[in-house]
Amino acid sequence: MIARLRSRPGAVALFGLAALTPLFVRDAYFLDSLVLILLWGALSAAWNVAGGYAGQVSIGHASFFGLGAYAAALMVTRFGRGPWLGMLVGVVLSLGAGFIIGFLSNRLRGPYFALSTIAFSQVLLIGVSRWRGFTAGGEGIPVPFRPGFTTLGLGHIAWVYMALAAALLCYAVEVYLERSRLGYRLAGVREDEDAAEALGIPTRRLKVLAIALSAALTSICGSLWAQYVGFVDPTYVFSVDLSVKFALNTIIGGMGTALGPYLGSILITSLETYLRATFSGVKTGFAGIYLIIYGTVLILVVRFVPDGLAGFASRLRARRAHA
Amino acid sequence: MSQPPLLALEGVTKRFGGLTAVSNVSFTVPAGDLLGIIGPNGAGKTTLFNVISGYYRADGGRVVFAGQDVVGQAPHVICRLGLTRTFQLVKPFGHLSVVDNVMIGALTRLPTLRAARVEAERVIEICGLGSHASAHARTLPIGLRKRLEVARALATRPRLLLLDEVMAGLNPTELAAMIELIQRLHVDGLTVIVIEHIMAAMMRLARRIVVLHHGERIAEGPPAAITQDRRVVDAYLGEEFVLAQA
Repeated sequence: MIARLRSRPGAVALFGLAALTPLFVRDAYFLDSLVLILLWGALSAAWNVAGGYAGQVSIGHASFFGLGAYAAALMVTRFGRGPWLGMLVGVVLSLGAGFIIGFLSNRLRGPYFALSTIAFSQVLLIGVSRWRGFTAGGEGIPVPFRPGFTTLGLGHIAWVYMALAAALLCYAVEVYLERSRLGYRLAGVREDEDAAEALGIPTRRLKVLAIALSAALTSICGSLWAQYVGFVDPTYVFSVDLSVKFALNTIIGGMGTALGPYLGSILITSLETYLRATFSGVKTGFAGIYLIIYGTVLILVVRFVPDGLAGFASRLRARRAHA
Repeated sequence: MSQPPLLALEGVTKRFGGLTAVSNVSFTVPAGDLLGIIGPNGAGKTTLFNVISGYYRADGGRVVFAGQDVVGQAPHVICRLGLTRTFQLVKPFGHLSVVDNVMIGALTRLPTLRAARVEAERVIEICGLGSHASAHARTLPIGLRKRLEVARALATRPRLLLLDEVMAGLNPTELAAMIELIQRLHVDGLTVIVIEHIMAAMMRLARRIVVLHHGERIAEGPPAAITQDRRVVDAYLGEEFVLAQA
């Protein structure tokens, strides 16, 4: 166990630091940023399970995020039950949706698959927006704050540990994929499906499995997000922007690496929070500057470190070991 | 011979629209055979491999492997039955190391990474890739990629291996090593079907040769007899080959 931890110094440092921070820092704004970094990191890691490890690049993962968020919110507001039960229902729904999208991946490859996943999230967006009687439509649902663990009404410090638990869960799944039979076979599917078939790998079944697993993790984080933020509306939780965010965090951090999505989330989430705070309300002319900088960072990463921050770090380490 | 053949093709036909790529082809491959398939470009050789290994579904006829009709089975199921193939255009898992590539094949029969790694290292050694085990597959030159293609297939422990032009593009040294490897696998009991254009290699390797032309089997026999066959000379080998042989 100790040896295993030693082989992942980056993860030990990152998650250890996150765990220690609330002991020393009480600033609500800072802790809020930390929760979001961990949650978006966990969501990007969940995306990475399908996109990075199995090569099934989806731009519709907001579907699963939204299902998790709505399941938790509606369970509280419509049925008067706890958000944990909602999280469970969200996982079941997302597994179902994941199987549907997984079967699409058997017919469609590459960009066609990605486009069909966008379409799927748009269908959910329209459906939830129109079903006013149940989902409250475009107005969205405020999630009441009821203090306590069973109602997920937590303080800032407790939320840091809740988000950390989600981050560790997704990280553990990634690590499993790096050192298991399933993960090796998925890597074969990612690299070349035809060759994988010839080697006895049931490629279709494994793709569906990877997407469903990724969907379930995304849904769990979506439920947590809904309880943390306290408000759910369809145009945000089912947005393409959100799906793209999961993908971009991972691409910037390093696809198919366990720590990459978290590195991407640290960079992008802190940049986003900082830029929003700095430029919001200064002048309306600056309203979009965040997106410009976001785009610039992406171009720089794709041009100069195409294997992402994690790949860049491991190359640096290899060079230092060489010298 | 009372023992049933390992592979039997019975009137296999494959059409693409109006084009009949493989037309009513029958032959059998007893266990332990080393069969060559030759024919001009477009004769249907690779199509036939795609049908046998499950990538295409035959429009007619049966493909019986080890007593079981495999038409309609997925390639991964056929691989588990003990029949696998390599690809003419090699398909390495480019971002993975050579040993990881071969391990993925070995994991089809073995449950743990540890066992698969041991098996992969053994197969890599047999295929002469030992000094490249930790190299990324995409960095290998074509000669080694062809060998990786064979190593990965071998790791699935096939009883019948289909090799699709594993000798094309090799230099003379690599070619000799590949011929030696195939002969060694054959001596160790593996049944092999080879598609190849290099006639010199085919003459040395194959015990029997099937000749395809326009999707039809036009001849079958030992290499020496095939080179004398009028139809084969006309369709594929050409007069120069016969004169050079003489």
